[in-house]
Formats: sequence, structure tokens, C-alpha cells
Amino acid sequence: MNKGILYITLILIGFAATSCTKVIDLKLNNDTGILVIEGNITNIPGMQHVKLSQNVPFTGTNTYPPVTGANVIVSDNSGNNYQFKEGPAGTYSINAAAGIAGRTYTMKVITNGKTYTATSVIPAPVTLDSISSKPGDFNKSKNLRNIVVHYQDPAGTANQYRFVLYVNSVQVNDVFAYNDEFIDGRYVNLELLENNINIHPGDTAKVEFQCIDKPVYTYWYTLMEQQQNAPGGGGVTPSNPPTNISPATLGYFSAHTTRRETIIVK
Amino acid sequence: MSKPLLCVFFLLISLAAFSQKKFTVSGTIRDESTGEQLIGASVIIKELPKNGAATNSYGFYSITAPKGEYTLVVTYIGYEGLVKQVSLDQNQTINIGLSSKNGLKEVIISANKPNNDNVASPQMGEEKLNMSQINNIPVVLGEKDILKTISLLPGVKSAGEGNTGFYVRGGASDQNLILLDEATVYNASHLFGFFSTFNSDAVKDVTLFKGGMPAEYGGRLSSVLDIKMNEGNNKDYTVQGGLGLISSRLKVEGPIVKDKGSFMISARRTYIDVFFKASKDSVLRSSSIYFYDLNAKANYHFDDNNALYISGYFGKDILLLKNTFGTNWGNSTGTVRFNHIFNNRLFSNTSLVFSNYNYAIEDFQSADYFKATSQITDVNFKEDLQYSMGNNHTLKFGINILHHTIAPGNITTNSTSSFNNLSIEQRYGFENAAYVSDDWRATDKLTFLYGLRLSGMFLLGPGTFSTYDAAGNTVTSTTYAHGAAVKDYFNLEPRFSASYQLNDQNSIKASYNRNTQNIHLLSNSTSSTPTDLYVMSSNNIKPEISDQVSTGYFKNFNENIFEFSAELYYKWQQNQIDYKNGAQLLINQNVESQLVYGSGRAYGLELFLKKKYGRFNGWIGYTLSKTENKFAAINNGNYFPARQDRTHDLSVVGIYQLNKRWTFSGTFVYATGNAVTYPTGKYQIGGLTTFSYSERNGYRMPASDRFDIGATLEGKEHKKYHSSWTFGIYNIFGHWDPYIITFRKSKTVPNTTEAVETSIFPRPIPSVTWNFKF
Repeated sequence: MNKGILYITLILIGFAATSCTKVIDLKLNNDTGILVIEGNITNIPGMQHVKLSQNVPFTGTNTYPPVTGANVIVSDNSGNNYQFKEGPAGTYSINAAAGIAGRTYTMKVITNGKTYTATSVIPAPVTLDSISSKPGDFNKSKNLRNIVVHYQDPAGTANQYRFVLYVNSVQVNDVFAYNDEFIDGRYVNLELLENNINIHPGDTAKVEFQCIDKPVYTYWYTLMEQQQNAPGGGGVTPSNPPTNISPATLGYFSAHTTRRETIIVK
Repeated sequence: MSKPLLCVFFLLISLAAFSQKKFTVSGTIRDESTGEQLIGASVIIKELPKNGAATNSYGFYSITAPKGEYTLVVTYIGYEGLVKQVSLDQNQTINIGLSSKNGLKEVIISANKPNNDNVASPQMGEEKLNMSQINNIPVVLGEKDILKTISLLPGVKSAGEGNTGFYVRGGASDQNLILLDEATVYNASHLFGFFSTFNSDAVKDVTLFKGGMPAEYGGRLSSVLDIKMNEGNNKDYTVQGGLGLISSRLKVEGPIVKDKGSFMISARRTYIDVFFKASKDSVLRSSSIYFYDLNAKANYHFDDNNALYISGYFGKDILLLKNTFGTNWGNSTGTVRFNHIFNNRLFSNTSLVFSNYNYAIEDFQSADYFKATSQITDVNFKEDLQYSMGNNHTLKFGINILHHTIAPGNITTNSTSSFNNLSIEQRYGFENAAYVSDDWRATDKLTFLYGLRLSGMFLLGPGTFSTYDAAGNTVTSTTYAHGAAVKDYFNLEPRFSASYQLNDQNSIKASYNRNTQNIHLLSNSTSSTPTDLYVMSSNNIKPEISDQVSTGYFKNFNENIFEFSAELYYKWQQNQIDYKNGAQLLINQNVESQLVYGSGRAYGLELFLKKKYGRFNGWIGYTLSKTENKFAAINNGNYFPARQDRTHDLSVVGIYQLNKRWTFSGTFVYATGNAVTYPTGKYQIGGLTTFSYSERNGYRMPASDRFDIGATLEGKEHKKYHSSWTFGIYNIFGHWDPYIITFRKSKTVPNTTEAVETSIFPRPIPSVTWNFKF
């Protein structure tokens, strides 16, 4: 459905054939040094990480100072407690354990004398059938491909998905978050539309498929809406997406199932 | 209304009715050559200057005066004035034809002075546009446009380049009531806002109320744009049209029965897809994007006292990507009206009005085939009466019964599609109103226009109606039967304006009005997409309420050739709507769970200097204003600038008639940039560089300014036909006006980010149109 709006936006951009862009200098205020928490608990052993960092001025480089020396504990509703260990700086993880679908996980981060908590539920996993590629609808002459994911959405339950797309090991700079409002119970062929990396036959495409809970979906969906090429054409007034961390800070805590598929693009 | 107020009201009416022996003269004022009725023509009795009247929407006037010999003076802008001797010893009907000034004659000030209506009338915040001015003002791509011209007036701001949405005195663009022959036009733009739905060929009269709305209008907070279609020439058949670079138009009009009835059909089609042919992209080259629209009207005058009008509009935008994707959207309206003149003083109009807006989006590819549709349909019955009481009172009263049907969304798919069929419940409701107003010339100097409108909103079943908690989860769900009352709201809307004339050429005015709005546009995109979704006031959404006070000083000078006005306004708005983060508005059964409510305030100063007549005419409009909103969940509950908050807004319009054949025009606009939200930092999340934000709308887009020029060359005079050329250059200095500013990974300096400004028309855009008439 969103694809429809996206197409309208793309055609509108095409229509405004005379339009031009230029890089400009803006005087922006800096509201920086804010704690960023990115917590992920997955069903795969060795993929439980909580990353702590700070935001930086827009005009600086994209290097984000890690927040070190924090105390990070994750517990579940079956009475397990996991003390996360730091290493490298700002990344806190635990090696042995893996999340279990259906359990509720609570993250507790104590840093700088403040305690941040968040909870998230790992939803029942959905199987990613396969991924494939198909010719793009625009720019036929460039022989571009779009990546399509195929899966059966379970009927009768609310499911939320997030996809992360890598092309030749470079992450595509787009957020893909969908729910099953329009597809509940269908066999889904979903195009991951993006236009920041050109995908050609022969490239390696990797898709990470996550089943996420509702608050985490709202977080990613809000980010997705604010993307320039998103439905609405980036015209949505941007804001920090609603976090599930309390007290509110930048970032999220997501407990989810994950699965990866790789193909050589044809 | 409280009882004492009611008593005073009826006392005024009865006082007015008590009088010495008086007689009434009434009639219709028309264009002599085409039979078109003239709206807002001024009729005064020279000997009794306070006994004046203006013709109503059907060209009807009525004046009452004591028995005597009088001189009737009739004036209308762009027409030769007329003076007529009347012996008022009985009630009588006098129909008057005025002849239009054409060519150079306009330069010569006619014997009777231009009138000073703008000074004398108690109406405030009213702007009338003259079609001939609209025709001379240059616009992008050469398609003259009413809505674009309106945005050149003070207090009215364009929603942005290539966008016909407009903001009036800080109100959102869905707070404008746009009427075409009394029918609501829900989406007034074609092609994402590059053109308006109004074909100026088919339009006779444009009036905008930005404050002091008369009580006969209601349903929107900020403004009323009342557009009336041409009736059609009832003397001769004429064909006129134009061939332009991206659009062509044709109009046919003529008598059905000479002097009794006429028709008008006007059509337009764009071929803007030519832009695509230049594209390097083969898919874009094979896709189409265009719109067409059709206006038609017919009328028949059974006798002096009974007339029937039927008019309609149909327009459609189509965008098609071969074998991939298509979308179309459009308005249609239909109006049937019956005028009846009961007697010299009582005029009645009964209308039955239909209005529809719909859109469809279709994906043709089998893996994700779907077709989504949505529409809103109105059926409206109106009865409006106008009673000239004599003693300087003109009463207007009436009722309005408006039924809405909203189909928020319907998805149909096939078996191979990834999507389900889905149908969102339709919503039904009545928006009813009754009003009464009185235009009272109390003394030579003091006039009042006051009234009261009672509006009622009734949301009806069938359907399931839910309430939601702050997080948007459903708290209760109640199912209602067909026709069951779900929720109703009543609002009293007082309207009041007064004018005190210091002398012939100076007046001060003041007004207060309350407006309410029960139909709300949901769109969290700032660009103009066709997927507009309307919702009615409901168990969750309260009627929006606006209170506005304004005061102004009006002055004419140089024998009314120049008009000057300064108006101050202050507005309070309640129950304003905004969206939660990540709101899903499209095809959502629980769309009302995605909303947050707040308030707003707007205030400003508008200065307007206009030269109405002469070889050189035009105006300068300047607005200094502030518009702010307040929502508990946004900006820590503090006031923040609304997107449409524009501190300075300046428009200069000049039209110069060089000689009989050449007319030149130029417009200059300058506006403070929109209030927008920019990042105040960045961080990494999900492997992506992401921006962090602090204040809502704490920044400004760069100011925009633009200079456009146009020229009209009239063809040599022929007996049988007339032709002209219209040339225009939009943005002649190629000024870079910002359309949107985005933020991205830097393309030049690795590991950094940059801000990018996009401009739609950063260079001059020429246009040429050939017009003909025979």
C-alpha cells in the first residue's frame, strides 16, 4: 500500500524535471551529548548487544563517542538475569545466551548515576521463505534490480517485521519496517524499494529478517516515514521516534527473532 | 442565544418594520451584451445616500424609500455607470443592463465617480477579485489561476511553490471553505497542486472572506472562497479558447431561448506528460500524467420572478505508469437552484447540491496487485431568503441540511496478491445549520452586519465506534444500528461587524466572529498528495472552534481611484488536530487513535494599497503575522510556530496598459520561509546515521522571492473573431526558491553529513498561449 504513495512521490520528483538541488550551509543549534542506547536481544546465540554512545553535532564527522563503564543487565520473565560485559568500548554483550520467543526481556542500563529501563517481547518467529531479485520499475536502461522477500504471514495474529538489506556487505541506508495490517495471512512478496545503492546482477544481497514487537515497530516505522524517499516524500515533520526506554533518551531496546538469507543477484 | 439578546433582535426587526409610506424598487442588473447577471453591483439613491444596496449572487437588488422623485445610480467595476430617474409612487421592478468598458476606454474615468463601497460597507476581511485582473497576472506555465492570484492578497499565503493550497490568517489549508456554485470542492488542486481546479474561463465571480464571515457561510474556520460560474451568454453564441504549451481550453456559450435562458460549457485538458518525453528514463517516457476538467451550466428564466439554474463540474487527474501503477483522483459537483422573487422585497433561493471527491490507486503487478479507493460524498439542501425591510435593514436567513458519506478506504486484490481485501466502515453524518443576519444602515455613518448561525453536527450509525487511550489502544467499542445517533454537537456562532464612516473616504471597522468546523482533513504529509482523508467530528474528535476579532482602517483617495486598508486580527483556535509519531492515517479503521489535540493562536497586521482604475493599476499587499500551535505532547507543551507561520509576506502586482493592443504585467512576491524542524545532532542507530531533533519548527526555510512578468497582445480587430497572445516568464531572475531541505550522507566529504536544498523552478519558465474568441 505504501508502495503506491511511494510511486506517486517518485513520479512527482520525475515530473519536477526542472528541479535542482544544491548543498547549503545551515546554522544549526547543537543539542548533543545525549545518551543513545541501542539494545538488541535475538534468538541467535552470540547476537545480544547493548551499544551505548552519544549524539554529536550535525556538522561533525560520523563518529560517535562510546559511553563506557556502564552497568548493563538484561533479565527475562523466567527469572534469568544476564550481566553484560563491555568490550569493545561502549558495546556491552553476553556470549552464551540466546533469547527465546514468547519471553519478555527487560534491559537495565545504569550510567552516570542514572538508570534506564526498557522491556520488549520476542514474538513468535515467522519463516523467511526466500529472497529473490526482480528488475526495477524505473531506470530500465541501468539494468537495476530490486530485492524481493517472500514469506507466509501467519493469519489472525498481529505481526511486525523489520528488514535490513546489505549489498556486497554494505548496509543500505534505508529503514524497512512493515506490519501485517494489509497482508494478514497472505503469502507475501515484498519489494524492498530503495534508491541509495544501485543493485546489479552479480551483486551479493543479504537480508536480515526480524520479527519485532509493536513498540519497536512504531520506532522503526517513524524513522522510515522520515526518510526522504518514504511515503510522504520526507514531508512528515521529523521528530525523534518514540522510544520504549524510560526515562526517554535516544534509541530503543528490541527483543526479536532474526534470520539471514543471502543471494547472488540475477 | 440568550433571551434578552433575542428580544433586542426582534425589537430591531419590528422597529424596522414600522415606517411611513414607502415604496420599493427592485430588479436584476445584467451585462447588457451577454445577459450575465452582475454580482455585487452598487445601487444607490443619490438623494438619500444611505439608501443603497448591492446586488446579490443572482444580480438582484431591492431598495425601499419614501415616496418621491429620485435618481438611481448604478455602478460596477469594469462597467459604464448608469443614472436613472425614478418616480417612486408605487412598488416597481426596474431591470438594468450595464455595458462593459473595453479596451482603452477603461483608462478614461467615466463621468460618475468610482464608488466607495469598501469604505462604506460594514463587511471586513473581504476580497473580491476581478476576472480581468486574474487574466492579466502571469503564472507558471501560462495557465491563469484563481487560487494563485488569491495568494497575492494580504493575509493569504500560498502553501509553497507549485502548490495551490493556501493559508488564510494562519489557518490550515483544510480550514478554507471552497465553494463552486455553492458546492464544496474538497481538493482544489490538479497535479499535486501545480494547478487549481478552477478554469478561469468558466468563472464569473470570486469572493474571499478571511474574516467577518457573513452568517450564511459556515463549516470552516479560516475562510470562505465563494466562486460563481458564468451563466452563459443569453444573446449570442460564442466560442472561445486557448492553445498553450501544456494545456488547451475551449468554451462554448449561447442562448437556449434568447433573453430567457442560456448555457455554458467549458473544458480544459493538459498534456504535461510532454515533460516526461524528455526524460532519460524509458519508464517515465511511457507513462502519462494529465488532467482534464469540465464546467457546464444552464439557466432558464421562466419570467421576471422565477429562474432555474443547473451547473456542474467534473475533473479528473490521471497518472499512469505502464503495466505497473496507476492513480486517479477528482472532484465532481452538481448544483440545481431555483430563484423565486416573492415580491419586491423578498428573494428566495433554493438549492440542491451534490459534491464528491474520490481517489483510486492501483498496482498492476501480479505479486502485489491491489486497488485502493476512497471517497467523500455530500448532498446538501439549502434554503436562503433575503428580505429588504426598508428602513435600511436587509435580512438574510435560511437553513442548510448537509449529509456526508465518507468511505475512508476500500482495498480489492486478487488471489496472487500479497494484500488482503479490506473495507473500512463508511461514516455517515449530518451537518445542519440555521442562520439569520441583518445588514443595518443605522445612520449615514454607522452600519452593522450582524447575525447568528446555529450549527449542528450529527454523527450517525451504522458502524462500530471506538474510544482510545493515550497510547492509541482501543478502550471501548460500541456498535450502532443504521441511523442511530452516535454523537452530536451544537454550536452557536455569533457574527458581528460594524463600520463607522468618518467621512466619505475614511472609515473604521471592527468585527468579531466565531466559526466551527466539523469535517477535518487528515494528512501528515506536507506535500499535496491526492490521498486526502476526511473525517467528521466524532466521539473522539471535537468540533474545531475559532474566534476572531479584527479591526481596520479603510481609506479611499483621489476620487476613490486608490484604496487603502489596514486590518489587525487576533484568532484563538480550539480543538486543533495533529498526529502521533509514526501515525498510520491511510486506510486505517482506527485512524482516530492516531490523533492528538491542541490549540492555536494567530495574529497579524495586513496592509493593502490598491489602484483600481487607470492605465496603470495593481496593488501592494503586506502581512506581518504570527501563527502558533500548542499540543501537550509536542515541544513540551509550549507554543511552537505552525508550519504556515510566516512573519513577512509581501506581494506587488502591477498591470500596465500601454495601448489598445499591449498590456504588461508583473508580480513580485517575498515571503519568510516556512517554519520547519531541522536536526540538532546525529547519532547511529540500526547501522544508520540518524538525526536527532529538539524543538518543533524551530527553524526557517530560506525566504523566498520571485518576480514574474507577463504580456498580452490583443489581435487586430475583426468583425467575426478576436484573438490574443499571452506571454509570460515565471521567475524571470531565476531566483532559487527553496521547496524542501533534506539531510543526507555527504557525497563529497566522506564520513560527514550535509544539508541539501531542492528548488522546483530555479530558472525562468517561459510560457505562451494563443487565445481566440468568435
